[in-house]
Amino acid sequence: MPRMSEPAATSREADVLFELVRGRYGDRLTPEQLESVRRGVAAIVEQAAALRAVRLDNADEPVQRFVPFRADE
Amino acid sequence: MNPVFRSVRELSAAIRECHVSPVELTEAFLDRLDRLGPRYNAVVTVTRERALGQARRAEGEIAAGRWRGPLHGMPYGAKDLLAATGAPTTWGAAPLRGQTFDTDATVIRRLEAAGAVLVAKLAMVELAGGMGYRQPNASFTGPGISPWGDDAWSGGSSSGSGSAVAAGLVPFAIGSETWGSILSPAAYCGVSGLRPTYGRVSRHGAMALSWTLDKLGPLALTADDCGLVLDAIAGPDPHDPSAADRPFTYDARDPTDRRFRFGVVRGIADGAEPAVREAFAASLETLAKLGTVDEVTLADLPYDAITRTILSAEAASAFEDLIESGAIAGLTAPEDHHMPYARDAMLAKDYIKALRLRAHVMREADRVLSRLDALVAPGRPATAPPLAREFRDLHRPARDPMGAIGNAAGLPAIAVPNGFSESGLPTSLQFMGRAWEDNTVLAAARAWQAITDFHRRHPAID
Repeated sequence: MPRMSEPAATSREADVLFELVRGRYGDRLTPEQLESVRRGVAAIVEQAAALRAVRLDNADEPVQRFVPFRADE
Repeated sequence: MNPVFRSVRELSAAIRECHVSPVELTEAFLDRLDRLGPRYNAVVTVTRERALGQARRAEGEIAAGRWRGPLHGMPYGAKDLLAATGAPTTWGAAPLRGQTFDTDATVIRRLEAAGAVLVAKLAMVELAGGMGYRQPNASFTGPGISPWGDDAWSGGSSSGSGSAVAAGLVPFAIGSETWGSILSPAAYCGVSGLRPTYGRVSRHGAMALSWTLDKLGPLALTADDCGLVLDAIAGPDPHDPSAADRPFTYDARDPTDRRFRFGVVRGIADGAEPAVREAFAASLETLAKLGTVDEVTLADLPYDAITRTILSAEAASAFEDLIESGAIAGLTAPEDHHMPYARDAMLAKDYIKALRLRAHVMREADRVLSRLDALVAPGRPATAPPLAREFRDLHRPARDPMGAIGNAAGLPAIAVPNGFSESGLPTSLQFMGRAWEDNTVLAAARAWQAITDFHRRHPAID
């Protein structure tokens, strides 16, 4: 079973990522919408922190089966 | 006979014995859809012409002795994310009101092959809720309304599929679930809703929200009806690589002699609305008549974060064009106009981490469920919320471990009614089983409905 650790501080990461989103879409959003997006980014970063707090082994593969393709099979 | 609020099984017997004709039945439900559909914001398109054509064909075949099975001549509605020729397929989204497809979704084709009659494309939360809506008014057809209360949301995103069944506008409906979109409307509308195992039903021709989470399934008055419908729509499909090559035949044998092994996750009803807690506590006592009920514990994992990350990342990609183009500004829910932009902050490594953790969720769920027939829990932690209320203001727990685990692991679950609040809104009980044990959760729910009568209570409509 994976091991849990404490989530790291994330506010700076949220600020940096929000700037990226603002740079891409800021011109189409109102200040109120941007503030809402800021909270959304903070929630995503918090969510990511919860994932990162779980320690996995190198052999823990993602659930995403890749199958090489041949049209005649 | 009055066909309203009769189960698919009852109606099927009446059709086969010629007590009612498919055309009469179809006309009766078309009339109700026209007359009552707008009251619940339940319908996008009434497919009258297609329905009457299918009904006449069914009538002729049955009269000639060619009975196709229990859905032959049976009207139904489909969530408006399933492609169907001859009608728009709007995905509940105003910018896509005129969208059409020139083929039928596999589920629509399979139901046609079973002789069922498509009478309506049913309302849904825009883009199946994939933009992050935070209140019920999130569809160009208006907020879905539960037939149990004028100010009660029908749930979502399969809003019309829940309310149309509950109001007797269709005998059964098809919905979809990525996370909660079948179980929530089933709960808020007081009907039975089955989320099949991921891969049990082809999604070809269905809107994609999250490729690794999306499932299609039936909503109906009884669990038995859900089994009859699943039997018709399940199976592999060369057009959908996720559709598993596993045969499914509905096991309709009487489950009442069976002794079930039920599990309850410790504290699963904590934080739920009092009416839900009370109904669940009473349900556990009733379930003890059907077998054993034991408390179980789950490993400490960030279940909600895992499933949320997968859903959000895949939705951001599935709707990249709508988001990047700015077309989301034409959606109904104000929050859907801008919240999707935040998902540009998701990092690839976090999505991959969620997929790696998903393997642990699957193993943990299977560890617990391998000793049980089903985990039981409230279908939803609250009764239907008011139409104008934001979800975050509601009395409900912050996390949904059953939904997060069940959907991340692709497990079958069914929600069935188990009580009512003081204000007359339905509460719900869910049974969640091991992967591919769709028949087991159906059997448990049928055993429940054999000794309770909540599924036989209907809202006052006419």
